[in-house]
Amino acid sequence: MNSVKNLFKIRELTSFLFLIVLFLLVGSVNASFLSPTSLLNCFNDSVVFTLLASGIAFVIFTGEIDVSIGATLGLSAAVSSSMLRDGSNWGAAVLAGLLTGILVGVINGFGVSILGIPSLIFTLGTNGLIRGMIYVYTNGAWVENLPSAFTKLSKMKLVGNLTVFYTFVIVLIILAHFILTRTHKGKYFIAVGDNAAGAALVGIPVVKTKMISYILCGVFAAAAGIIYSSRIGFITPTAGNGYEMKAIAACVLGGISLTGGLGSLIGASIGAVIMSSVSRILVFLGFSSDYDNTITGVLLIAIVVIDAVSQNHAAVKNRHTRLAARTAVGEAGKGGDQD
Amino acid sequence: MKKSPLEWVQSFIKRWEFVLFLILVFEFIAFGAKNHKFLIPTVLFSSINDIISICIISLFVTFVMITGGIDIQAGAIVGLTSIITGVVWQDAGVNIWIACLIAIFAAALCGALSGYFIAYCGVQPMVVTLGGSFLYSGLALLVSKLSATESYKGISGFPESFAQIAKFKLFDVIPSQLIIFFILIVVAYGLLHKTKYGRKVFLVGVNAHAAEYSGINSRLVILSTYMLSGVSAAIAGIVLTSYLGTAKSDIGATFTLPIITAVVLGGTLSTGGKGSIIGTALAALVIGILRFGLPLCFKINTQYLDIPVGLLLLVVVISRSLAGNQKVIRFFRGVSPMRKKSL
Repeated sequence: MNSVKNLFKIRELTSFLFLIVLFLLVGSVNASFLSPTSLLNCFNDSVVFTLLASGIAFVIFTGEIDVSIGATLGLSAAVSSSMLRDGSNWGAAVLAGLLTGILVGVINGFGVSILGIPSLIFTLGTNGLIRGMIYVYTNGAWVENLPSAFTKLSKMKLVGNLTVFYTFVIVLIILAHFILTRTHKGKYFIAVGDNAAGAALVGIPVVKTKMISYILCGVFAAAAGIIYSSRIGFITPTAGNGYEMKAIAACVLGGISLTGGLGSLIGASIGAVIMSSVSRILVFLGFSSDYDNTITGVLLIAIVVIDAVSQNHAAVKNRHTRLAARTAVGEAGKGGDQD
Repeated sequence: MKKSPLEWVQSFIKRWEFVLFLILVFEFIAFGAKNHKFLIPTVLFSSINDIISICIISLFVTFVMITGGIDIQAGAIVGLTSIITGVVWQDAGVNIWIACLIAIFAAALCGALSGYFIAYCGVQPMVVTLGGSFLYSGLALLVSKLSATESYKGISGFPESFAQIAKFKLFDVIPSQLIIFFILIVVAYGLLHKTKYGRKVFLVGVNAHAAEYSGINSRLVILSTYMLSGVSAAIAGIVLTSYLGTAKSDIGATFTLPIITAVVLGGTLSTGGKGSIIGTALAALVIGILRFGLPLCFKINTQYLDIPVGLLLLVVVISRSLAGNQKVIRFFRGVSPMRKKSL
């Protein structure tokens, strides 16, 4: 059990070390990248992806996937910012946006956990639905002219250069991380993803856990949408297009296994910082932003391939050690390798 | 054992393809009754231009999904082949047909690279092809920078013979895209359902370990399916470039979700081991006709088309899951009472 815990720590640590090495490398080429303001901006700018990635992390922990979060972000952003534009109460607008996310989460959770439809397929369908709903809701027009007090919110600094939004998100994630790792119910997510049948046998409500993970994912995506509208200041019908893939990529970069049962929210937020820093890093290295997608792709593939190869290597090595130990005791003939 | 025609019809009615066929017929009746223009062959066939890429690629992504994988990089490869064809032809001055061959070769290489990481390094297919979709769309953008033409304009002015790929019409009615689609259906059907290779693809999807123990090089089979889907994306990219008359790096960016929708709607299991080419082809047509007919006959804004396609996918998967559920419920009641509790 201890070694399993250590493995979790190592996986987060690897992505954190990777982040540091990446930043130091860029800093060695262009020292101004390592100035405190510039570094903090890397974190501040990742706020939308951090929320999206930690939201989808709940779902990925349980071994499922949700490709509708980009559309959810767009819909909740459209709903809450159109209410703000029309002069409604801020609380009501934020609440309406979050409720949109909850609704999407309930629908996704219903389809995946209760009806048992493969998650990729079901959320693919809801993705099309929600994306269409944005067009219906906005009539294909942009939502503009948000109150300036709302857009200024994204520029508000708390301590030093840390924005209020990022501080809020980080506190939220650290809180959620402790719930996930320190409480009984929090550990359900990882347990379900690790072995659903085993989790059911020890009395963990698998269906309910998956349902909650989808609702959390929807709420996080909706919150990301509200922050997105404050940062950007206007909402197009294509807002958040393709963000789902970037959020999944951030999770993978943060050491979360897409087969479920492995990873942490801290990892997801580190991955989100790496993901959203790529274009900033390119600017500091003097490349044009055309290299953005290429570098992201190379990073993603390199990290997962290295991870998979080293894990396979470790598994094979372990098996050999066990086999050698068994042969030495003379039990080799008893039943062969059970691995 | 040979089946008599009647038996063949009986077994066909029970199959998923028959349901898709009925949906297709229903679409034709509904759209035709609403607007007679829909049934005019030239109008109907003109719609093929918008859906041909999805039709072609989904045929071969079926192979990937039968092995239990998934391919979300095909859309990026479409853009990559389009821009490679354009740049090699315009800026390197190579013959257009050789440029096409180079593009197809490059696409096969892209597929092989992703396939290698999936099959030989044991990385999840979704992750690798997700990375691939970033990588290849990024490369496409970089290739477009090699050209003297600015990338947002795209490369145009292709020779007439190349434009004929999309313009040619058999008997002045049937567009060449439809012919290409049918040829590829026959090729894919033959490959998947009539050859040893196809049986291997199915066996790898059902149980890769069993396949390995029965002497099948399952890794090579998996790698080859990604190459196939890469090549099909290249063909789609070339046909689309010929139709648009411009080579651009981002023309396939929105294809990923429709392709997966078509394959899944066609009855391929996303867990692998089951699927059919005819099903995928019919499903791609169902989606294509839906996207073409709704704006034409019911004046639905093209921006709303994600809703009916998404709904269709949801309704189909939910009803299929419910139809199969009786067995599942009985199975779980018999085996373990835990299931009910966990609900």
